[in-house]
Amino acid sequence: MIFFENTLITVISLSTPLVIAVIGETISEKSGVINLSAEGTIMICALFGFIFGYISDVATLGFLFAMFLGAGIAVFISYCDIKLRMDQIAVGFVLTILLSHLSNYLGQDYVRLNGPMITKIQIPLLSKIPFMGNVLFNHSFITYLSILLIPSAWFFLNKTTIGLSIRSAGENPLAASSRGIDVKKMRFLGTIIGGSLLGLAGATFSLYTKYGWSEGHTTNYGWIILAIAIFGGWNPYRAAVGAYSFGLLQVLAIKAQSVTLALSQILPLLPFPIMIFVLIFIQYINTKDGKYVPRVIVSLIAGNQPKALGEKLPEEIK
Amino acid sequence: MFDFDNLKINSIRLLLTLFIIFFTLILFGISPFEVFQSIIYGSLGSESKFIRTLIVWAPISLASLALIYTFSAGMWNIGIEGQIIMGAVGATFIARSFLGDYLISPYIQILFAVLFGGLWGLLSALLKVKGNVHEIFSGLGLDFVASGIVIFLIIGPWKRDGIASTGGTDLFHKASWIPTIGNHNFPLMLIVIILFLYLLSYVVLNFTSLGIRLKSTGINVLATERFYFKSDRYIVFSYLIAGSIAGIAGFSQASGAYHKLVPSISGGFGFLAILIVLISSRNIYFSFILSFLFSILIVGGSQLQIRLGLDNTIIGIIQATFVLSWLVLQRIKVENMILQKISRVFSK
Repeated sequence: MIFFENTLITVISLSTPLVIAVIGETISEKSGVINLSAEGTIMICALFGFIFGYISDVATLGFLFAMFLGAGIAVFISYCDIKLRMDQIAVGFVLTILLSHLSNYLGQDYVRLNGPMITKIQIPLLSKIPFMGNVLFNHSFITYLSILLIPSAWFFLNKTTIGLSIRSAGENPLAASSRGIDVKKMRFLGTIIGGSLLGLAGATFSLYTKYGWSEGHTTNYGWIILAIAIFGGWNPYRAAVGAYSFGLLQVLAIKAQSVTLALSQILPLLPFPIMIFVLIFIQYINTKDGKYVPRVIVSLIAGNQPKALGEKLPEEIK
Repeated sequence: MFDFDNLKINSIRLLLTLFIIFFTLILFGISPFEVFQSIIYGSLGSESKFIRTLIVWAPISLASLALIYTFSAGMWNIGIEGQIIMGAVGATFIARSFLGDYLISPYIQILFAVLFGGLWGLLSALLKVKGNVHEIFSGLGLDFVASGIVIFLIIGPWKRDGIASTGGTDLFHKASWIPTIGNHNFPLMLIVIILFLYLLSYVVLNFTSLGIRLKSTGINVLATERFYFKSDRYIVFSYLIAGSIAGIAGFSQASGAYHKLVPSISGGFGFLAILIVLISSRNIYFSFILSFLFSILIVGGSQLQIRLGLDNTIIGIIQATFVLSWLVLQRIKVENMILQKISRVFSK
């Protein structure tokens, strides 16, 4: 039981940055923008979050700065996307390459240093519950934040006017525009919220789960997040489930290292084939044969892919 | 025939991007002239350095050529990395088989590299055409699946005698290396293949119906139906060709550069080729020249550590800054403004 409890605690704290980043990417994609710069954004925000935390010795400042940096990168993407009408995929892709090289270059002086630690906060009373208390209520504030983020992101996207407007901008920009929604603003908003969450996730890597900085510190996490966002079917709850499953996968990979080297290397790549299968399944349900698939499976696996995902803004929207 | 205005605009843009790069380097406290001097010396300074540049240039130029096909058909073939990797796997498969000890091996390696890479490309295409999966996601997924396969092969079935490590397989038998001539191992066969493929692609893309149909698929899918041909088929074609050419790039990496299979066999050259094709905007000459310039940067950049004590990630920064500022400048259209100013000065 102790072993099980420890595993769960590790999974929850390991998955913290993944949950934050996946929700950020989901919000961004809901507004119609694939933030392909996720890999680079997370990497550079991990570096600068760490540097700011290191210089000021206050971890919170590191988190805040990383959020601003992530939002800044998102502003640049939005500018290229909305004002210059460039291909958002091209911009995101080039930014990923630029930022990951940049972070490796700028981070040379900060390799393996000790910055500020964030302490665990035990929530009074609740943490006294046997088993559950230890698993859920004995973490750092950033983990609580990530857990709170899941329902609030769902609420934001489904129950608030702005959230609904963001979604409509991602589904059908023309129709949304003709209903009086400022599509450009919504797209901008979605990208920025997503970008700042990606930045926060980056800082969470370097200040909490993968403490410190080294070259290529968060390599491949950005791509994995893109995969999990799809596995999550653009729904915050399922995205979080995806992130926690990946955290579990990571823990299993670490445990498998002592048994077979091959398994520990290959397990973390599992999200990618799963992503492809989910995408195929989503398309299959939309075809004629798809209606014979049981509703339970549909609601578990299928997703609501934004119709205008990855497309340029229509030229009609000036 | 030759677009002179376009050249003027492009050269102004080139100057501006170089200016931005110089400015960035100065911002980092690095002298740009020293950097470029040692890059050029490090990549073209001697015959052996030049040949090393050619070895790096081969996969990059092939991958860019491959991407021209898919970009023509309007597809973002981000799965190029996976296609290169699978090509390398195909080549390694032959090099490790009984054929590996014979001199015929490299030629059969090419066949298998084309086969493996082409099939991997076909997978992306089928996912796009039959499954309607966005090519970014399927390509990205297949990249990582391919690298998973390579890691599995290196640790599992193809592991070195005794130890299982991620360092790579055993070196190939000498007969399986790319045939070279001269004292400095000039890879003649590879250069011939590249020139042949470029020439062939020039003809195919400009003077055949396949080329024009690929382009029309990229420009307007709906219009293709009016002309009674299936755009889906041309998407599949483009991926098949791209995968095959990328497979040869993988062969060049496995048998030419490393002489074994390593986990990072593609060397990130697929993503680099995407950058190249983004700025060359599907122009076959540009991607030929640019891929050479980029390989000069890579080979020269590896010398920076020794000569100037700089980390060679600066090369990646230079490349990406170049591409990003090029793309942004292309959209802002600042060159036209400058060109008008210049012509006004001269007309007075």
